[in-house]
Amino acid sequence: MLTALCIDPRDNVAVLLREVRKGEDVLVNMKTGTVHLKAQSDIPFGHKIAVTTLSVSEPIIKYGEEIGNAKTLIQPGEWVHLKNVICERGRED
Amino acid sequence: MHTFYGYRRPQGLPGVRNLVAIIPSVFCANTVVKRIVQQVAGTIELTHPVGCSQVGLDLELTAKALKGVSRHPNFYGVVVVGLGCERFRAKELADSIAATGKPVEMLVIQEEGDTQQAIVKGVLLAQKLVKQAAKQQKEEFPLSELCLGLKCGGTDATSGIAANPVLGWVTDQIVAEGGSAMLTEVTELIGAEHVLARRAVTPQVGEKILETVHNMENKLKVGTAHCDLQNRSALISPGNEDGGVTTVVEKALGGIHKGGTGPITGVLAYGEPLVEHGLYILDCPGHDGEAVTGLAASGCQVVVFTTGRGTPTGFPGVPVIKITGNASTYERMKFNLDFNAGEIIDKGLSIPKVGAGLLKTVIETASGVPTKAEIGLHDELFCITRSYGG
Repeated sequence: MLTALCIDPRDNVAVLLREVRKGEDVLVNMKTGTVHLKAQSDIPFGHKIAVTTLSVSEPIIKYGEEIGNAKTLIQPGEWVHLKNVICERGRED
Repeated sequence: MHTFYGYRRPQGLPGVRNLVAIIPSVFCANTVVKRIVQQVAGTIELTHPVGCSQVGLDLELTAKALKGVSRHPNFYGVVVVGLGCERFRAKELADSIAATGKPVEMLVIQEEGDTQQAIVKGVLLAQKLVKQAAKQQKEEFPLSELCLGLKCGGTDATSGIAANPVLGWVTDQIVAEGGSAMLTEVTELIGAEHVLARRAVTPQVGEKILETVHNMENKLKVGTAHCDLQNRSALISPGNEDGGVTTVVEKALGGIHKGGTGPITGVLAYGEPLVEHGLYILDCPGHDGEAVTGLAASGCQVVVFTTGRGTPTGFPGVPVIKITGNASTYERMKFNLDFNAGEIIDKGLSIPKVGAGLLKTVIETASGVPTKAEIGLHDELFCITRSYGG
């Protein structure tokens, strides 16, 4: 059973279908078939995990659309959330 | 083709409930309204904090909301209670209801003498309408006579992958059978407007969608511009963030799944009823109460409300079906939530399979089965939107 769901073939993040621990093997459905990622930290249920390397300012794609941009370099298996994503629309800071 | 059992009205869509609404034209009449409702079974109160000391657009929004909600098909009839000196007159409200052919009675506290005398008269008028309402029989209607309000609140990451796509599947079925649905919460469409505009039936409707979302975003920018207010400027809630939603755009892209995949027929102004059937965007902010009030004022007989974190709220006289994609939220909040879409995540069930179950719940609700919010007497969602010149 998948650990994380890649919603659209264009997505570069996947949604965790259960909580994972640091170092845990994460199975994600990708265009090329099921891939294995290693969780780089504990990540809660429903949160996002990077499935590719994302350079600074690269668009974060979920639902096949841009939801924001990488604030830092993000490695596959990293938790993608407030600390490493920036969004110009409705920006808080 | 599906059908439901509702109540024919003199004009417009049928009702899915047959209540008598007691509505103040101004907040000063709220206590009289509450006392009437306490004494007459079969009535509901629509008390609110507005109706006076308002001007311009703000007063007009109040008028549109009160008229729209009062004309709602789920009400057999209405008793309007005024004070007498208010800005929004009881007579304007009562006349607007009478124009639809719906039975309406009006009383004005200052004309009756005092609140006690107003309550006595109001109880008798309400009792008369309740007895009339009880004589009306249900009839079978096609799904084309249903207008579904679409709402989400307490969003988490399961909303975008389970609850909202399931509701979207139901929306597509209802619209395909000639029915209607309304997406709203324009504050929470920010970042998804281009996706919605691509689905517009004409380029003009597409432009209108873009304009509606941009106008709302500009209003928010004015409201959050001052540096002292920066810590009050987040467009998504801490609960959304804890649930895995990172940006307002991500929330919007997940939220619009409620509207399915079909063409968007038009954009409705606040309080505007639909004319042609189809899928609409209603121009109203995302606050749960304001949005559901907007959906009710535009005539949605049933609202489906998706929630990841879990919310108990309801609207007086309009069933609000609660659905979650988060199985643990469903287990914890069983008294409040009507439908679990979490099996899409836990058991890998398909969206159409779970969607068929939700459509059945919608039809049963439209035919009279009470929602958890109705059983729990929840009525928090009647909130009239305000404008202070923005």
